[in-house]
Amino acid sequence: MVLNAENVRREYGDTVALDGVSLSVDRGTVFALIGPNGAGKTTLIRSLTGTTEYEGTVELLGAPPEQTDTQQIGLLPQSFAPPERLTARELIEYYGGLYDDARSPTAVLDDVGLTDAADTWYESLSGGQQRRVCVGIALVNDPELLVLDEPTTGIDPAGRRDLWRLLERLTDDGTTVVLTTHYMEEAEYLADTVGLLADGSLVATGPPQTLIEEYGGANRLEVELAKSVDPGEAERATEPIGTGVETADRTLTIRGVTPRAIGDVLDALDDAGVDYDALSWQQPDLESVYLTLTESSGSTDTATRANRMEEITTP
Amino acid sequence: MTITRRIRAETMAAFRAFVRRRTAVFFTFFFPVIIILIFGALVQTQPTGGGLFAQPPAYYVPGYLAVVVLFTPLSRVGSSVARHREGNRFEKLATTPLSRTEWLLAHTLVNVGIIGVASLIILGLVVTITGATITFSWLLIPFIVLGVALFCGFGALLGATADSQDGVIAASNTIALPLLFLSETFITPSLLPAWFRPAVSLSPLSYFARGVRAATMGPVADAYGNLLVLAVLTLLFVAVGAHALPRTD
Repeated sequence: MVLNAENVRREYGDTVALDGVSLSVDRGTVFALIGPNGAGKTTLIRSLTGTTEYEGTVELLGAPPEQTDTQQIGLLPQSFAPPERLTARELIEYYGGLYDDARSPTAVLDDVGLTDAADTWYESLSGGQQRRVCVGIALVNDPELLVLDEPTTGIDPAGRRDLWRLLERLTDDGTTVVLTTHYMEEAEYLADTVGLLADGSLVATGPPQTLIEEYGGANRLEVELAKSVDPGEAERATEPIGTGVETADRTLTIRGVTPRAIGDVLDALDDAGVDYDALSWQQPDLESVYLTLTESSGSTDTATRANRMEEITTP
Repeated sequence: MTITRRIRAETMAAFRAFVRRRTAVFFTFFFPVIIILIFGALVQTQPTGGGLFAQPPAYYVPGYLAVVVLFTPLSRVGSSVARHREGNRFEKLATTPLSRTEWLLAHTLVNVGIIGVASLIILGLVVTITGATITFSWLLIPFIVLGVALFCGFGALLGATADSQDGVIAASNTIALPLLFLSETFITPSLLPAWFRPAVSLSPLSYFARGVRAATMGPVADAYGNLLVLAVLTLLFVAVGAHALPRTD
């Protein structure tokens, strides 16, 4: 066990940021923390790394955070901003110089895909490149435990996937990764275990597929109805198929539709003379789990909903 | 060896970060030059007359040096601490082997280097422009090093206490300006009300001013006692400043 936390609690005045969180992370695995803004993810990361005060028990590599060998830990804090008028290479050299043993800056820059921008000042790099420098800084001491608070925020999709592959390589070599993310596909792709934090409590923990099976709900078919169609008629026609039907904004959603039953739905709509413009079939995913559990705990905030809508509508 | 490696890394990073801020570098050196031009060239001293500048030009050498020894580390280290806090850099550093004392030592070394150069320029300008007759004593080196270190510690304390960079700058100006004029630098104790004179000894800068004056104008023996007091105060301020640096949120 690389990381073990028992009943971790943190209060800021009257606000309970963490309310008895327990988790454990095995060597060479990825633990992804997801949850709405303000759920306590960063406070938990800080508690796990000993950079905030907390109640409860935390052990990193068999010792409390304040006694852990710092050579073995690599942290990327949230909103981390290193000195802005140092080049990417100088920053990697600087942070590497704080450790007894550090990786070659050239190798680290290559890992994070910044070889060509190595001699550019941090402030002149794009947002995504800056975040990559920060990830490189966290990697420079070749840590056993890598703790990354929103590592891919601001990185473009291709760069994000490059980083995923890097993290996969690291875990294959035995590095343990704890990360937080707002990207559900990132957690689903990378994590061996996902922890969903809401209102300071871990409301669900487990492998992504297990959580999806448990909380993700049924498959669903969404049919975009033609403008002339009466939604009630469409609902009546498809009600016998699947486990539930509803219409919102001219989109008919039929839950519990298997791939084989898609044809039955289309036949039923044709028989009822219901015209439609488009349709899509979706399996439940981690986002479904996230929405189900955060909505049931009443903690999905506006920002998260807005992010989700943006992600859904962006081609 | 690992401590020197860490301090070297932090020092190099802090030095590069500073010298690449051209405006900050320019005004670090230009500020004392302005003071010398105003006080030394425009107003001038009148040893035989009354008024504010009635002492020989050499008397004001500690004052001109204090402009950089006091202002620069106080505002620079304070701002650096505030910037580190805003960028969550201390959170990162807390998970590295670098200690708070090593961090402060590294930033003190950068300030000693910068202010050492500025002090040489100031001494040259004062002698050239005001015609001050001074002895270039080796004791100037420990006085400047200790003075800079003391106010680096004070700056760290300010940076850890203030809630923003703006707050640090406002606080450092508010603290530095009275200290600059009430520490036997530009204003002699005789110009102050009798009841206030004991308070002058509460300023750490007074020991710097008295010591530098003794080293440059004599009697040199008077410098040692002030050097000792300054050294003790420096240890205290550096220890408190290092302890105040944040390790957690």
